[in-house]
Amino acid sequence: MLLRILNYLNEHSRMLKRLFFAFLALTVVFDFYAARHAPHFFGDSIIGFWAVFGVLGCLGMIVVWKGLSHVWLAKEEDYYDK
Amino acid sequence: MISSTIFIHPATWFLMGAVLLPFLNKRPGLKKGVLIAVPLIAFTVIHWLPDSFGQVSYMGFDLVFGRVDQLTRVFLHVFTVMAIIGCIYGLHVKETGQHIAAFLYVAGSLGVTLCGDYLTLFIFWELMAFASTFLVWYRKKRRSIEAGYRYLLVHTAGGLVLLGGIFLRYKNIHDLSFVQIAANGATFADYLIMIGFMLNAAVPPIHAWLPDAYPEASVTGAVFMCAFTTKTAVYVLARGFPGFEALAILGAIMTVYGVGYAAIENDARRILAYHIVSQVGYMVCGVGIGTAMAVNGAISHAYAHIIYKALLFMGVGAVLEMTGKSKLNELGGLYKQMPLAMIFTVIGGISISGFPFTSGFISKSMIIAAAGESHRIGLLLMMTLAAVGTFLSVGIKLPYFIWFGKDSGVRAKDAPWNMNLAMAIAAFLCFFIGIYPEYLYKMLPFPVNYHPYTAYHLSETLQILGFTGLGFYLMVKKLKPEPKINLDVDWFYRKGARVFMVFASRPVLSSDGWVNDVYRRIGFRLTMALAKAISWFDWEGIDWTIDGSARGVVECGNRVRSLMTGKIQHYIGGAIALTFIILIIVMLV
Repeated sequence: MLLRILNYLNEHSRMLKRLFFAFLALTVVFDFYAARHAPHFFGDSIIGFWAVFGVLGCLGMIVVWKGLSHVWLAKEEDYYDK
Repeated sequence: MISSTIFIHPATWFLMGAVLLPFLNKRPGLKKGVLIAVPLIAFTVIHWLPDSFGQVSYMGFDLVFGRVDQLTRVFLHVFTVMAIIGCIYGLHVKETGQHIAAFLYVAGSLGVTLCGDYLTLFIFWELMAFASTFLVWYRKKRRSIEAGYRYLLVHTAGGLVLLGGIFLRYKNIHDLSFVQIAANGATFADYLIMIGFMLNAAVPPIHAWLPDAYPEASVTGAVFMCAFTTKTAVYVLARGFPGFEALAILGAIMTVYGVGYAAIENDARRILAYHIVSQVGYMVCGVGIGTAMAVNGAISHAYAHIIYKALLFMGVGAVLEMTGKSKLNELGGLYKQMPLAMIFTVIGGISISGFPFTSGFISKSMIIAAAGESHRIGLLLMMTLAAVGTFLSVGIKLPYFIWFGKDSGVRAKDAPWNMNLAMAIAAFLCFFIGIYPEYLYKMLPFPVNYHPYTAYHLSETLQILGFTGLGFYLMVKKLKPEPKINLDVDWFYRKGARVFMVFASRPVLSSDGWVNDVYRRIGFRLTMALAKAISWFDWEGIDWTIDGSARGVVECGNRVRSLMTGKIQHYIGGAIALTFIILIIVMLV
C-alpha cells in the first residue's frame, strides 16, 4: 500500500511540483491575513519577509558552506590515515 | 534507611541490570526481559521520588545522590523514556557488552541528573564518558577504535578541567553543593566548571569529539549517545549557569556552525552528529539568555530533541544495519526497499525542522520567541537561519539522497521488528508532543505563558520551510554528495599529535650544551613522559594504519575483533565492580 502511494507520487512528479509552487504562493497569501501581535523587530511586520529570508538564507548557506568546503575544508577520506 | 532508599534511585536499577546481564548469555529470552524491564522500572520509579534522598556524609563531604525538583523531573522523564526506546531498538543485539555499556551510560546520566553536589556529579560524569566509549568501540572497525580513543582522551581532558574547577571552588568557598551560580559573581573556578560542562555540550571550539566519534559508534550505540551526553550537559548548564552571556552567544554560533557542516558532509550519521551540535546550540543559547521563557524553551527543546534525534539516528542506523552503508554518495533509491525506515526518518526530519504538529514546532520556537522578547534580534536571526539549514540538510537532503535521488543499486529489506517498533514509538511521541504541547509544558520548571499555534507563527514557519524547499529545488545539483571529509578543529589534535612526536624527539638530541644540567634533567623526563603518553596514543591511533597496511585489512580487522572482545569484557567487568564498590561504600558507610 505504502509502496504504491510512493510509486504513484514518484510517477507524478510534475503534479507534485505544481502543488509545491501553489503551496509557496499560499503561504505568502496567508501572511497577508496573519495577525501580528507584538512583533519582535521590523522583519515581523513585513509581508513575506520570512519567505525571502528562507530562500536567500538557504541559497546563501549552500553557496558559503559549499564554497568553504571546496576551497579549504574538503579532504580525501583517507586524509587522517596518511 | 539508606539501604532502602538506594532502590529509589533509578540509576541503581541500571547498575543492577548491568551486573545481571553477563549471567544471562545463555538465556536470551530472560536477557531481553531484563533489557525491557529495567528502563520500565526506572521510568516508574522516577514518578515516586521524594524531594531529597541519599544524603551521605563521606570523609567530611556532604554527598547528595538525590535532589529532585521540577528541572530534575523533566530530564529524568525524557531520559528514562529514551532508555526504553533505545533498549527496544537494540533488543536484537547479541553482544551483552553493548547492553552493559548502554546501561552504565544511562546510569551515569541519571546519576548526574539527580546529584546535588559536585563530587557525586563528577563520579557519574566520568562513568558516562567511560561507558559511552565502549559504545564507539563496539562497532569494531579500525576507525571506531581510533575514534573511541580520541573520544576518551578528549573527555578525560574535559573531566580534568571540570575537576580542577570543582577543587578550586571548594578551596574558595568550602562548599560542593551543585546550585545555580550568579552570572555577575562568577569566579575563575566557576568558569572552569562551565568549560567542563561546555565540552560535553559540544560548544565550539571544543565540539569536534562529537562529529568525530558518533558516526563511528555502533548502530545502537549512536542512538544512546545522541540522547544522553549533550543533554545531560544541557541539564547541568541549565542548573548551574543560566543567564551567562557567553552561553547565549556561543549557543547561537553553534546553531549556524552545526548546520553549515551538516550541509557539506557526506556521511549520514556525521550529518546528524553536526545537527546535534546545531540543536544543542538552541538549548545552550536558551540557557544563556536565562529568562524563564528561554530556560523553559531550552528544556522543552532538550526533551523534544532527544526523541526526534534518536528517531533520526534509528532510521539512518536501520539503513546502516541493513545495507552496511551510511555515506550518501553510496546510497539512493531505497524507498522501494526500506519504506518504513524512510517514513520514520522523514518524521524525525520534519520534527527537527519544526513543522507544525511536530515536537520541534512547539519547542524550538519557544527559544526563538524568548530571544525576540529579550530584544536579542541577532540571536533570533541566527537561530532562524539555522532552522533554514536544518530543514535543508536533514529535512530534505538526507532523505532525498538515501531514499530517492539516483538509484544506487543497493538492495535491502526493512529492519527487524524491534527497530521498527522503537522508531514507531519515537515517531508517535514526535507528533504527540507537537499536537498536545501541554503534556510537555506542564512538566517545565517555570509556568508557561507561550502559545505556539498562532496564525503568525504558522505563517512564518510555513514560509521559511516552503522557501527553503525552493532553495533546495534550485540548488539540488550543487548539493550532490561527494566522497570527502571536511576538516574541523579535531585537525589540531589529530595532526598535532604527529608534530608533537617530532618535537618531542628533537629536544632530547639537541638539548646538550646550552641548557643547564638541572633543567635538562627535568625537561628530559617531562618530555619523555609526554612522548610516552603520546606514543601510546600514537600506537593505538596512527601507527595502526601504517603497520596495518602491511598485514592486510582483513587480518587486522579480525585481530582487532578478537583482541577487543576479550579485553572489553575484562574492562567492563572491572568497571562495574569498581562502580559498585564505590557506590556501596559511599551508600553504606
